[in-house]
Formats: sequence, C-alpha cells, structure tokens
Amino acid sequence: MTGAQFPLPVIDDIDTGGHWQAVLRREIAIRVCAGCGEVLHMPTAYCHACGGWNTKWQVVAPRGILYSWTTVYRQIHPAFPAPYTVVLVELTDLPAARLVGHLPGEPDLVAGLEMTATFMDIGDMRVPVWRPAGWPPDAERGQAGQP
Amino acid sequence: MSATGHRNAGAIVGIGATDFSRCSGRSELTLAVEASLAAIADAGLSVRDIDGIVKCDMDFVAHNDLAHALGLPGLSYWGETGTGGGAPCGMVGQAIGAVLSGQASNVLVFRSLNGRTGARYGQGDGQGAEQGGNGTYNEFFVPFGLSTPGQMWSLMARRHMIEFGTTQEQLGAIAVACRRRANVNPSAQMHGREMTLDDYLASPPITAPLRLFDYCVETDGACAIVVTSTERARDLPQPLCVVRAVAQGVQCGMQPGVAFPTLMRDSITTMPSAVVARRLYERAGLGPEDIDVAQFYDCFTITALVQLEDYGFCEKGEGGPFAASGAIELDGSLPINTAGGHLSEGYIHGLNHIVEGVRQVRHVSTSQVAGAEVCLVTSGLPIASSAMILTRGTR
Repeated sequence: MTGAQFPLPVIDDIDTGGHWQAVLRREIAIRVCAGCGEVLHMPTAYCHACGGWNTKWQVVAPRGILYSWTTVYRQIHPAFPAPYTVVLVELTDLPAARLVGHLPGEPDLVAGLEMTATFMDIGDMRVPVWRPAGWPPDAERGQAGQP
Repeated sequence: MSATGHRNAGAIVGIGATDFSRCSGRSELTLAVEASLAAIADAGLSVRDIDGIVKCDMDFVAHNDLAHALGLPGLSYWGETGTGGGAPCGMVGQAIGAVLSGQASNVLVFRSLNGRTGARYGQGDGQGAEQGGNGTYNEFFVPFGLSTPGQMWSLMARRHMIEFGTTQEQLGAIAVACRRRANVNPSAQMHGREMTLDDYLASPPITAPLRLFDYCVETDGACAIVVTSTERARDLPQPLCVVRAVAQGVQCGMQPGVAFPTLMRDSITTMPSAVVARRLYERAGLGPEDIDVAQFYDCFTITALVQLEDYGFCEKGEGGPFAASGAIELDGSLPINTAGGHLSEGYIHGLNHIVEGVRQVRHVSTSQVAGAEVCLVTSGLPIASSAMILTRGTR
C-alpha cells in the first residue's frame, strides 16, 4: 500500500454505501430484494425482477471461487505497483454476485480456486482482501499486503 | 412504422477523415471540421445542405461548436447517443430516423478525438483520492487496482480461455490479420510496419493474458460521414451505399455504470452484440451467410473474437479456432477490418469502421474484397452496442 495515493472507496453513496458500512464491520454484504430474493448487485434501490422497493443488505460468508483474473504488468495507478493480479471472485453464498480483489505479484492461479476474504485498514477506511484459501497471512509471506 | 420500416431507406453518401497520428497538433474541433468538410465534399454537397448533426456522447466537440465552425446556416436537428464506442452505428440509425421523420435532410455524423495527446482512454479511471458513488460504481473496482478498459477485457479474455480453451495464438491471428490490412493502407498508423505471429507472441504482456498487440493504437484524428435518404442519394455522385438495416441492443442483466459493472453479468463471454445481431439480421432480412466482409469493433483482439461468435459466423466458443483458420483473412470466407481496424489503422472509436465499410461497398478499399455487396459494421461493447449492414445499391 502506498498511503495517501490509495484510491479509497466512497462509502456513503445512497445506493452502494451499505456494502461499505458492512466492510467497516468486517462483513461482506450484498444488496438483495427482500421480496423475491433477486440479487441486486450492482446495488440498486428498486428490484427490476419483481418491482419491489423493499431491499436488504444480506451478509454472506467471506468465501468464493475464482471466476477470472488478470495479471497487470503495465503500471497505471500509482497506488498499485506492477506486477499485481486482479481477481474476480464468485461468492459462495450468492453465486449471482461477484467481487473484485487484488493479489500482489503474479501468482499461479486456476479457475475455481477457493478464495477467502479478510480485511485491511487504510487510515479510517477498511477494504476486503481476497486471497486463495490456505495462503499464509501476507506478513508471513513477506508481501506488502496490498488490498 | 414496422421495425423494418427503415430498411434500405437511408444511405451514406459522403465519407471523410483526417490523418491518423500520435500527435495531431490540432484541436479536436479543428479535426472535426477537417473530417466534416471532407465528407461533405465527398458527398457532392456544400455546408449549406447540412441541416443535422449527430455526435457521440463522449465527444468533446458539441453540435453547436461544429455547426459554428463549419458555418452551417440551417442546423435544424441535432442528437447524441452513446455509450462511447457503442454509439457509431446507433448514430447512423438516429440520423436515418431524423431524415425519415422529416426533421433533417442531410445529417453529419462525426467522431473527433485526440486519443493519444488528449484524454487517453488507456489510462482509465481512478486518479482521484476517493472512488465511486453517483452511479459510477467505481468503488467496487478501482480500490483493487482495476481501473482501465484493458484490465477489464483481460478478465473477459481469461474467462473465454477458461470456458472454451481459447489460446493466445488465436487472439494473435486477429492482431496479425488487422496488421496485414493496415500494412497496405497508407492512412493506417501501422502502414508498412509488418508483424508476424511470432512478433505478436514476443510482445510484452500488458494485462495478461492480453499483450501489447492485443491492444488498439491510441490515435489523434477524426472521421465524419453524411447520411441522407436513399432517394436523395441516387442523385449524388458516389456509388450508392445503402443502409440495409441498423440495430442497437443491450442484454438482459445489462448492468449500470460505464463498463466495469459488466463484469457482474451472468456471462462475460457473450456480449450485447448477440442481441444486436439477432435484431439486425431480422430487420435486414439477411443472415451471417449473406455477409461478404465485416468491420468489427476491435479495441482489443478479444473484442473482435467474441463478435465472431455473437454475430453467428461460428458457434459459441469457436471464435478462436475460426479466427485462426484463415477465415478472417482477405482471401477467407469473412475478411475483417480491411483498413486495419482499431488494432492497426487507428482508434477513432468506431467511426473509422463505418468509413471503411462504405469504401468496401464502393469498391475502393486498399484491401478490397472482390465484388463485395454486403458489409457488416459493428460498434463497441460491452456496455450497449449497435451495428448495421451496408449494401451496394443500384440506381
């Protein structure tokens, strides 16, 4: 992590803020329709499936499987030194929802790999950190522990 | 009016372009004026004849900027559509709608960008200290290092490899085919710069699995076309280029925002192009077997590859083997991107694909497909897309 330059998420958006409020509680939450259960991700206030306005933030296990990934060799953003790997994770509890994560370096990966999330604080903010299940903690691997 | 009410009713009568370079040295307005004057002259018209303008939502040149700079005395219609590279064929559809509804007679459709020296789309989003909110959804992407179109398309390419076994060499076949067409197009940025499949494979990875030559060339330049009724086009000088049909489309679960949320769709290997294709073929009364040559939007090689499937030239998942079979070469069953495409001619955000499509049905391309009568032109994805079929008309 490179501190001040880090692009922190907006956490108080009226449609998406519930996700980030959950992250501050060390939880992963996805917006779903309270009426019909439709997964509303990206988050919206209105359910396009049943026409309902009653939605909730469903807390899910911080687990998923690796859906796709890309290893970035050409650095674009100053907060993310290359090489690093962007992962797309399908949530185990709600397979209709995917979240993006960041792995340092260029690890060997395979589709379907089990992934788990922990959380890392950046100043007053907190972001999920997705890692392959069974990886030792970042500190023990000698990595910088970038989110 | 039925969905086929516009079939064969509109035509593209003028085409124009600036030089394509890495440094134009001119403003985007100046580039737009140059391309527009060239298109109007090509149509055998004068600026006094132009009464409509359609622009892309991401163009910095507004309709009134261009109308003033050209000295249009009678602008009576203007419109704008998007999103970005998905717009161009839809812009033509909008122009035809204006003509058929009597709101305009001759409509200028343009795209101008200093894509290399101005706003570089390859640099992506996320330069601010806080990301997201206000319907951008960037908060789910940029804080994890996902901030450029190339990174997004690489996730899509990897998924295509996971689901269908698509290979680097198959993506390379698209890059090489486009490069060969650009090599003989004096206007192309990659004119004269040959590239073999080995050269492609030796190019550095940028966002694996995509490499340098899977990326298009950021370009300074502009293109413009003039759209009018087919009836009026018969009295104009150029070989008749009829818009057989045009279509726009989104897919179920389309997702909001600009681009990154499309990674949340059920499938990230089938695009809105599949919806556009079905609608376009129905409106045209034609199918993939009728297409002589195609200009596929190709911001990246994978972008063109998925469209080979979505537009029905091969089965889902067979885009890689199809691309590598030679079918997309000039002597193949479906020559593509005959000016070099975004990958090697230049990135004018889909407008240069239309200009080249017109050249093919006029039979004046630098990589002319012998006897071409029917050309498919597509616009960008993955957000929402558009496409059209151009045919060589008879007077």
